[in-house]
Amino acid sequence: MMGCHDIRQLLPARLEELTPLEARARALHVAGCARCAAEAASYSRLVQTLATMANLEATPPDGTVERILVAIGRRRVRATDPRVMVAAGAGGALVATVMVARALRQRRRVPAAAAPGRARAALPSVVSAGQTAVLARLK
Amino acid sequence: MEVDRELVEAAQAGDRWALEELVRRTHRSVYTCALRLVGNPDDAADVTQDVYLRVVRKLGGFRHEASFATWLNRVTTNVAMSSLKRRTRRIAVEGAMVPLETRDPAPDPSERAEAVLLARRLEKLVAGLPEGQRQVLVLRDVYGQSTDEVATAMGLTPGAVKVRLFRARERLKAELGATEGGPCQGQVVNLAGRRRASGRRS
Repeated sequence: MMGCHDIRQLLPARLEELTPLEARARALHVAGCARCAAEAASYSRLVQTLATMANLEATPPDGTVERILVAIGRRRVRATDPRVMVAAGAGGALVATVMVARALRQRRRVPAAAAPGRARAALPSVVSAGQTAVLARLK
Repeated sequence: MEVDRELVEAAQAGDRWALEELVRRTHRSVYTCALRLVGNPDDAADVTQDVYLRVVRKLGGFRHEASFATWLNRVTTNVAMSSLKRRTRRIAVEGAMVPLETRDPAPDPSERAEAVLLARRLEKLVAGLPEGQRQVLVLRDVYGQSTDEVATAMGLTPGAVKVRLFRARERLKAELGATEGGPCQGQVVNLAGRRRASGRRS
């Protein structure tokens, strides 16, 4: 039978962390040694309390969620979701069209005699046929 | 960490709102786990962000064989360990932990105060362990990973994990006893007993 010195090295272990032989030796010793039994119980309670720490949470720095969401959004747009890329591209084109239309309206408010043909000249050369049609509807 | 399966499935199906809600519900747990493993708030915040980048990539492959919380904990462990391997400069852990709050506070204010007090003292003692001991203890005893899982995550043999684990528990028990001026049974016994009695999940 193993003595206290040998058994003490096994006391910090949970049962499943011991070999069957070690587990049996520890159980036999602890059954007859009050001091080692108290030590074993103390370790058991320590482990139980450590497990409760999983229910505790630290406070992350301010803005952590926002940074994560931005990072996820960038990743999805770049690589994982083609629909998001299409949506982002379409959205950008729509914004550009509206901005051009507003610029066009502002130009048209200028008296024609003061700036003849200026509104048409202000249109960017990259405006597509489709966007021109949208512009025509906005006029 | 409570996460509905429906929410996870919606996020897997591409629902962006569900994914954002998943982040909002879980980021504190992820940050806390990262903080316990890497030992300082700045690195923990970086790890937390990297965890969700990996989650977005891997979520489609999650088959609900384990709980989402368990899966997320494994992802966090892997990202944190990768981060530590890349890190060349070690930052002192002492004093780096931030105060913890109870997510599931006890209903009785005095019991809650006791739980918070004990948790803060334990967190400080755990944070003061040597890095290798702290990591195996956190993964095994706080998050319930198996010895083999911890060994795989840390690139150690199961035997080496057990050696670190036993030393960490020995040291923690001795220090916990020392801070209380006697054996460590006192409040540890009470808290564990109350948790069991009230049926709370540990």
